[in-house]
Amino acid sequence: MADAPGPTAGALSAGKLAAIVVALLAATAAVGGLCSLAGLAEMTPQVWLSRALRLLAAAVVGASLAAGGAALQGLLRNPLAEPYILGISSGAGVGVLLGLAASARVALPLWASTPVLAFAGAMATCAAVYAIAQRRGRLDPYSLILSGVIVNSFNGAIMLTIYLYVDRYRIADFAYWAMGQLPDSTNLRLLAVCGACAVGGWGVLLASAAGFNVLGLGDDVAASSGVSVHRLRLATFAAVGLMTAAAVALAGPVGFLGLIVPHLCRMAFGADHRLGVLASGFAGAIFLMAAETLCRTIGPYLGAGRIPVGIVTALTGGPFFIYLLRRRFREGVE
Amino acid sequence: MSGAGHVLAAEGIAFEYRAGQPVLAGVSLAAAPGRLTCLLGPNGSGKTTLLKCLLGQLSPRAGRVLLDGRPVADHSPRELARLVAYVPQFPASAFRFTVRQIVLMGRFAHTGVLGLAGPRDLAVAREAMNMTQTLGFADRTLEELSGGEAQRVMIARALAQQPSVVLLDEPTSHLDIKNQLRIYEMMRRLAHDWPMAVVCVSHDVNVAARFADDLVLMRAGRVVATGPPREVIREDVLREAYDVEIDLVPAPPDDVPIVRAR
Repeated sequence: MADAPGPTAGALSAGKLAAIVVALLAATAAVGGLCSLAGLAEMTPQVWLSRALRLLAAAVVGASLAAGGAALQGLLRNPLAEPYILGISSGAGVGVLLGLAASARVALPLWASTPVLAFAGAMATCAAVYAIAQRRGRLDPYSLILSGVIVNSFNGAIMLTIYLYVDRYRIADFAYWAMGQLPDSTNLRLLAVCGACAVGGWGVLLASAAGFNVLGLGDDVAASSGVSVHRLRLATFAAVGLMTAAAVALAGPVGFLGLIVPHLCRMAFGADHRLGVLASGFAGAIFLMAAETLCRTIGPYLGAGRIPVGIVTALTGGPFFIYLLRRRFREGVE
Repeated sequence: MSGAGHVLAAEGIAFEYRAGQPVLAGVSLAAAPGRLTCLLGPNGSGKTTLLKCLLGQLSPRAGRVLLDGRPVADHSPRELARLVAYVPQFPASAFRFTVRQIVLMGRFAHTGVLGLAGPRDLAVAREAMNMTQTLGFADRTLEELSGGEAQRVMIARALAQQPSVVLLDEPTSHLDIKNQLRIYEMMRRLAHDWPMAVVCVSHDVNVAARFADDLVLMRAGRVVATGPPREVIREDVLREAYDVEIDLVPAPPDDVPIVRAR
């Protein structure tokens, strides 16, 4: 037992956590700065500011979806869970589209109505998916994915129905939004509201992450260790709903980010959900800022202008989902 | 290490999952510090349900579960976790946590919002791993361990809660004889030396009778016999409880006879 590893290895202390936060914050700021400078266009203060705001929006969207994905995976003990796959994004999307469509008839400030409607849609979808998938309070991982798929296509139909009532000259705006496009000019108030929702939700998830860890050993063990399991579920779904609503209000449905980023973070930082939720937030911000910059700089060469970032995440995320699923089958999990 | 002992007691508790189908019908039991109590009985006799009532996870329809005279239901989950710990039948981890991470999760109710481990938490976890002899594989994951090793990790995790009462649900049902004995010896040491109240649901009458200070024999949601092994391991009592013809094989003097189904 003499060469047994020291007692602190693998334990998360306050010092270690602070060091990781500082490092990730610096990395995020550095990537953001670099991304704002990349590109061919002549650099004027106006160009830089508009890019910086769009990158800030990308960071909010990326952090929300990735941290939300990490939290859902911990809560549901399911590495395939993610706001987009579970249909929460599409629920928020219905809310956003309703807001956009209504804004033609009723004068509502966009920055206030959009996040509220998105949140309502996200929470309604959370409740629906949960109600469909649960059986006597237990959630089967594949039922959950399946009910997400069903709710997704249902919400898709609602969104198409909304299109029918939209002025045909505005369809193009709606279509770009539906592809997961960050708008050319960022609405400052909307960014502020959504940023606050993202940060608040992230805080709730960080405070819940120690509970996710214990929950990984089973509901009984978690409850007997002092975790209020029911309250943890409600708080997590509410926080993820809020963050997803913020992301969808800013950029439309950006899929699979919540799947890829938490997976990479688990590979880098291990299974601890406290580090997972924390690092996924930063890494999601970095990932989406980089992807947005790539879409902006490469788009013209492909003759497509600025490519919607949601297309890129879906094109990379779809195969990644299949890879994770196949690996689960290989490992014989459930 | 947890100060004065606490007493967990059930007073005439009744429970039913579906109306009209009682699973427990007036069960009383007391788990006192310094004693290893084993719950015995055929499948479906209500042992696990009783354990969940004792844990405060199920609320009995009638009767009360008291911790030092105060209803378990009046404790917050964190308060209760500092007094009563639980070890599941099958150790399982949905993510690849290391053994040390799992043991430190036992500190949940003692730490702040983020559950960050301080020096004291690390010391308690180390002592728990020392006791259960799990320190040697602290950096491995649960799936890399044998069944016996994994179960010892789950016991270490429970001990990290610094409880006064530990409840175990058939912790040895999937283990070989050597590991069964090892776990029972460990439970007895915890009960007598630490000392705490240890309650264990058992499926093996002979192992339980050899190690326990008290046996509680259940059938159809009722306690049919309770007391030291010598008083419970009787032909007529066991025949009635398990509904099978049995023989008692005399063991060496001062030992409880061995039960053999005919």
